[in-house]
Amino acid sequence: MTAQGASASLPDPSSAPMMVRAEAVYKSFGRLQVLRGIDLEVARQEVMCVIGPSGSGKSTLLRCINHLEKINAGRLWVDGELVGYRQRGGKLYELREREISAKRAEIGMVFQQFNLFPHMTALENVTEAPIRVKGMPKVRAAELARELLDQVGLQDKAAAYPKQMSGGQQQRVAIARALAMQPKLMLFDEPTSALDPELVGDVLAVMQDLAASGMTMIVVTHEMGFAREAGDTMVFMDDGVVVESGRPRDVLANPQRDRTRSFLAKVL
Amino acid sequence: MPSSAEPGAGMTRPGQEQATVRTEPPQEIRAVPVRHPGRWLAAAVVLLLAAMLAHTLVTNPRFQWGVIGHYFLSSRVLDGLGITILLTVVAMAIGIALGVILAIMRLSPNPLLSGASWAYIWLFRGTPVLVQLLFWFNLAFLYPRISLGVPFGPEFFHANANSLITALAAAILGLGLNEGAYMAEIVRAGILSVEHGQSEAAQALGMRRGQTLRRIILPQAMRVIIPPTGNETISMLKTSSLASVITVTELLYAVQLIYSVTFQTIPLLIVASLWYLIVTSLLTIGQYYIERHYARGSARQLPLTPWQRLRRLLFTFHAPPPEPPAQLPAGPGR
Repeated sequence: MTAQGASASLPDPSSAPMMVRAEAVYKSFGRLQVLRGIDLEVARQEVMCVIGPSGSGKSTLLRCINHLEKINAGRLWVDGELVGYRQRGGKLYELREREISAKRAEIGMVFQQFNLFPHMTALENVTEAPIRVKGMPKVRAAELARELLDQVGLQDKAAAYPKQMSGGQQQRVAIARALAMQPKLMLFDEPTSALDPELVGDVLAVMQDLAASGMTMIVVTHEMGFAREAGDTMVFMDDGVVVESGRPRDVLANPQRDRTRSFLAKVL
Repeated sequence: MPSSAEPGAGMTRPGQEQATVRTEPPQEIRAVPVRHPGRWLAAAVVLLLAAMLAHTLVTNPRFQWGVIGHYFLSSRVLDGLGITILLTVVAMAIGIALGVILAIMRLSPNPLLSGASWAYIWLFRGTPVLVQLLFWFNLAFLYPRISLGVPFGPEFFHANANSLITALAAAILGLGLNEGAYMAEIVRAGILSVEHGQSEAAQALGMRRGQTLRRIILPQAMRVIIPPTGNETISMLKTSSLASVITVTELLYAVQLIYSVTFQTIPLLIVASLWYLIVTSLLTIGQYYIERHYARGSARQLPLTPWQRLRRLLFTFHAPPPEPPAQLPAGPGR
C-alpha cells in the first residue's frame, strides 16, 4: 500500500513499475481543457478513489488510462508500458488497433450507465469477450461466467436479459463481465451514481470484496463511506488538476486545501 | 430494509403496516356507459359500402371470375410469378449487402470512403428507377464490350455487352443497385440508433472494431433496420413489375402477354393483383417473426405470436386473457 501524494517527486525507475503512472497528462476537447497536467501513481493492489465535482476531469482521466481517449500531452503508463504508443529511439509510434485492443483487454472498466449488451443474457454478456477476444472455448467461458455471477450474487440470473434486472443487478453483471477478462486493473466510473439508493449497497459490497482480494482499482465515486472503508488513497480533482491526495481518512477528516474543504462541505 | 409484510398486504410503508388492512373485497364500479351515436352511424355507412362492393363483385359479369379462375394457376402466370419472386429476392439480397457496405463506408472517418458512399446514394436515389432499368438494358450502346482485367493493364476476359447483360440481368442490376442506396440509409439509421456506450463497452473489453460491429452494434441495429427493410421488400415486389418495360416476363408482363392476345385485360390484371396480394401477405407474416426474433432483450416479455394469441382466445372461454407472468426483478439477490 502506498500513500504517496500525486505531487511526489519522480519515482525511482529501479523499483517495480507502478500499475498506473501519469506524468503531466493534458487532454482537451477542442478548446475545452479537461485535464491540465495530471501526475499520479497507483501501485499494485492499491485502491485509489477519485473524487471531485462534475466536470473536473475524473471520468476523462479513467478513459485516457484505457485509451478510449487520446491524451494531448504528457505520458501515461500502465504496468510500465506507455498507453497508446510505443517509444523507440526517442520517437513515438502510434499503436495499431490490434495492440490497443490487446492492452484494453487487460483493463476492466465499469460504466456509470452499466452499458450491458441488451440483446444478450447475463451469461452471454460475461462470456462474449473471453470467447471472442481470448478465444476461450465456449464451455470453459460459461463455467467461468457462472463462477463470476456467483461471486457477484447473481447465480440465478444467468438467463435473464438486462432489461429484466434491476440497476444494481445490471451493474453487478457488468462487474462480472469485466472480471471475466481477468484484468490486472479495474476502472470504475461512478458505478453507483445511476442506481436507486437501496441498490447501491449490493454493488459496493461486490467492489469491497474485490478490493479485499487484492485487485488494483481506480474508482471515481461520490460514495465517501466506500472510499473511507476500501480506499488506500484518495485523490481530489478539480478543474483538470489534482488538488489534493492522501489517505482517505486524512483527506476526508482533515483536508488541506480550501477547494477540497468547500467540496467536502457540500457532499458530506 | 423494509420488513416483509404478509403476502397480499399490498403497498405498505414502514410504520404503516398495521394501519389499513381491508378484509371485504372492493366494490366494482357500475355506471351507465356513454353512448356513441356517431360511431354507429359511421359503422352503418361502412357496412353499406361493403355491401355495395360485394354486390358489384358478384353481379357484374365483366369481372369474368371464370377467366380469373382459369388463368390463376396457369403455367404462364406461375412462371411470371416465379420471375417476380426471383427478381425480388436477388435484388433485395444485392440491396442489403450493398446497403451494409455503403452505410459502413458512410460512417467511416475516411472522407474519401464516406464521400464515395454519399455520391452513390445521391446518384441512385436521385434518378427514377425506371430510367436506371432502361439505362442498364441499353448499356451496350455505352460499352459494347465488357472486359475483366488489371486496370490500365492486360485483360483476362471480355464479352459482348449485349450477350452478358440480358434483360433479366439488367433488371437485377437496376433494381439491386437502386435498392442499395435506400438500404444504405436504413442501415445507417440503425447503426446510429445504437447507443455510443455499447461500442465503448465492447472496446473496453478488448473487442476490435469489426467484432464490435458484428457482435454488438448490428444485432441491436437490426431492431431498427427490420421494419423498413420489410417495407422495402414489399415495395420491391411491386417495383419489379417495372421490369416488364425491358421485356422481362415477370408477373405483370406475363399477364400482359396473355391479354394482348385474348383482350381479357381486367380479369388478367386481377389475377396479377391477387398474386401480388398473396405474396405481400406472406412477406408480412415473415416480417413479424423476424422482428420478434430481434426483439430479444428489448422488452421484458416477448409479444405473443398470432397462433399463441388464438389459442389463448379459444381456450379461455370469455374470461379476459390472463396477464403473462410479469418478469420483474426479484429484488437484490444477495
